Amino acid sequence: MTKVILNKNKVLKNEYFFVDDLTNLTKSNSGNLIVTLSQWLDNKKTLSKKKNIGIQLNSDESLSLIEEEISFFEMIQFNFLTFKDGRPFSEAKKLRIEFQYIGEVRASGHILPDQYIFLLRCGFNSVEIESKQKKFWLECLKMGMGLYYQP
Amino acid sequence: MYQYSDKDKQIVRNRTKEFLSQVKRRIDGNLTEEEFKPLRLMNGLYLQLHAYMLRVAIPYGELSHIQLNKLAEISEKYDKGYGHFTTRQNIQFNWPKLEDVPKILNELAGVEMHAIQTSGNCIRNISCDHLAGINNEEVEDPRPWCEIIRKWSTFHPEFSYLPRKFKIAVIASETDRAAMKVHDIGLKLVKKRNQIGFEVYVGGGQGRSPFIAKKINNFVKKRDLLNYLEAILSIYNEMGRRDNIYKARIKILINELGAEKLKSLIESKFKKFADKKLLLEEDEIKKIKNYFKLPINDPIKSSIPVKKNKEYNIWLNQNVIKHKLAGYSIIMVSLKHYNQPPGDATAEQMKTLSIIAKQYSYGEIRVTHEQNLVLPHIKNSDLFSVWNKLRALKLATPNIGLITDTICCPGMDYCALATARSIPISQKISQHFKDQSIQDKIGNIKIKISGCINACGHHHVGNIGILGLDRNGEESYQISLGGSADEKTSIGKIVGPSFSEKELIKAIQTIIKTFERNKKNNEDFLSVFNRVGIDPFKKDLYDKSNP
Amino acid sequence: MAKKLKGDSFFLSANDLKTGSVVYYNGDDWSEKVYKAKKINRSEIEEHEHIAKKFEDECIIISPIFVELNDDGTIKKLRDIIRKNGTTF
Repeated sequence: MTKVILNKNKVLKNEYFFVDDLTNLTKSNSGNLIVTLSQWLDNKKTLSKKKNIGIQLNSDESLSLIEEEISFFEMIQFNFLTFKDGRPFSEAKKLRIEFQYIGEVRASGHILPDQYIFLLRCGFNSVEIESKQKKFWLECLKMGMGLYYQP
Repeated sequence: MYQYSDKDKQIVRNRTKEFLSQVKRRIDGNLTEEEFKPLRLMNGLYLQLHAYMLRVAIPYGELSHIQLNKLAEISEKYDKGYGHFTTRQNIQFNWPKLEDVPKILNELAGVEMHAIQTSGNCIRNISCDHLAGINNEEVEDPRPWCEIIRKWSTFHPEFSYLPRKFKIAVIASETDRAAMKVHDIGLKLVKKRNQIGFEVYVGGGQGRSPFIAKKINNFVKKRDLLNYLEAILSIYNEMGRRDNIYKARIKILINELGAEKLKSLIESKFKKFADKKLLLEEDEIKKIKNYFKLPINDPIKSSIPVKKNKEYNIWLNQNVIKHKLAGYSIIMVSLKHYNQPPGDATAEQMKTLSIIAKQYSYGEIRVTHEQNLVLPHIKNSDLFSVWNKLRALKLATPNIGLITDTICCPGMDYCALATARSIPISQKISQHFKDQSIQDKIGNIKIKISGCINACGHHHVGNIGILGLDRNGEESYQISLGGSADEKTSIGKIVGPSFSEKELIKAIQTIIKTFERNKKNNEDFLSVFNRVGIDPFKKDLYDKSNP
Repeated sequence: MAKKLKGDSFFLSANDLKTGSVVYYNGDDWSEKVYKAKKINRSEIEEHEHIAKKFEDECIIISPIFVELNDDGTIKKLRDIIRKNGTTF
């Protein structure tokens, strides 16, 4: 199952990588580190010294847990445990409006192409999807562009 | 009536195309049923016992004669020749094929209709007073506000995957004809210090735990309405429970947090983060209001035909209401003929009614939450002719507000969730009480029947509420008394152990006898219940020493 | 799917994905004709759950259920009888 990143209609390679063991970071890893919420909470001190860090929040993990440090992150990824859990839509909007966050906001996990426009309109920039699903995502993007009532 | 802009047309057409592609993906195996289900639900498509069911939106319950005729055509072409009007002023078709649904949506789009957000965990069709714009009591017409909210809530990017469904109703009178206080949000247009704005009620609902909405704001300015709604929905989306679908509605959130706490969260969100782009400016409101100008402007001299016909006179008395403009009347078209499932209309009835509406009611029809239809602007002098036509269609049963005018969900005859049948119960009640003099003697009373705990038949707010349950494979009916969905909304009290299908009619008879014995002067059922309480009813129903 | 099932014999039923019609499993295929339905014993339930899953995955049916039967082979529950015969009013 190959995954790719979609940024609007651009197909990109994922620049972020997870590691299971943060003490074992080698130079061979290219790209940027992304950490889970628990990794962040357990290793805040050491991680705060690094640069270009992303964080992943599951859809049931609240943004309020990292409220103080939001602007530190290069990228914030909301991982949908199920596409039916709509909390990240509000969280992304909150990031942009309440926290004035200008970094990248990404959606991953169980998301559907039919949600693409909604995601973008709530402030997400990118989505992580299965490569073979690409065409459905691009179709949905094309179909729904500009067709909505809200400002 | 509202008419689609080019954008509306484009959005609805686009949605139809999108759904066609979703159906294809489903049939080709590119969408699992688990993934397809929420998408089809957001297009009003359910799977019931025998077939799919399509719920078509009738925004705020208003239809043109062209739309009603189209609904009739669809019912003939893709269904079994009838449709069912619901308590949220929509219509349901019970037998469409999945493959036909995109075609149906396409036909609907042609008459400016759709099935968007008639189901699913999103903001549903906005309900409204069926007498909006034509009664003397309201501070202003609530329909433009329903339309403004409809637009804002359609495909809302943030609120399309809520913890649970979300229902909004708007009224503008002291009299509540829209069951506003059993909605997730109830809005009431009010005039204070010469300014018109909204009282905001939150957290009403029925289902397995019924709640009456609590007022959380006495006055939200018109221009702030959408920002205020946005603040409520945003807090709900974030904090509403997602671990248990029975605890996911905002009614549970408000009861767990307390109204004061929820209110302060909403107010703070509203004050800090209101979006300037959502502010409603006067000219914008005016533009929408223009669509809802009545087709008639001035009172006329027109008198009601006087006929020596008993049936006609009874109908005039029971089913005809004064219009706000002198010389006109409002006809309540009963969909509760004694042999008909409540709320059902056949293709022939819809077609002919569409012609009647075109000829006599400026092409307008309304749907009530009590599952009847309305012809809103009838010249008084036309009443006798219209009555004759309605009578021929079995649409002139003079029972509006009486014991045979029941609200009733489809029950186990159709619904996959039901635990018992409800339509046959309502038909038995109708058969039993159909004698006009008996109905008149009983007077105003509301019986509401649900085939399961989800309460689509509004049993919690019935003067007599009937809830169908499954007791070890047998249908069994629990009765509650004293509920009401009007401005004095109350939740009925369960009277005692439930009754079998066979015992039920006798139990209703007993309840009516208790009422009649305690009645003073012209008191109606609810007044008697509120005065004497539940005990005399209990005693008569269950006390064995009582013959 | 087999949770809370009582009784000893069953039909396997579902709705046709494309039409929504009530269908019954007849041993190799699905048909609206209930008289062709295959009678399934309690011991065969698991096997038939797999069969149902296979047809679900192939986008032929949705919402499979086991219909409980009486000793004489007639359908037991009112809900299943309504699914077979249609509305009751």
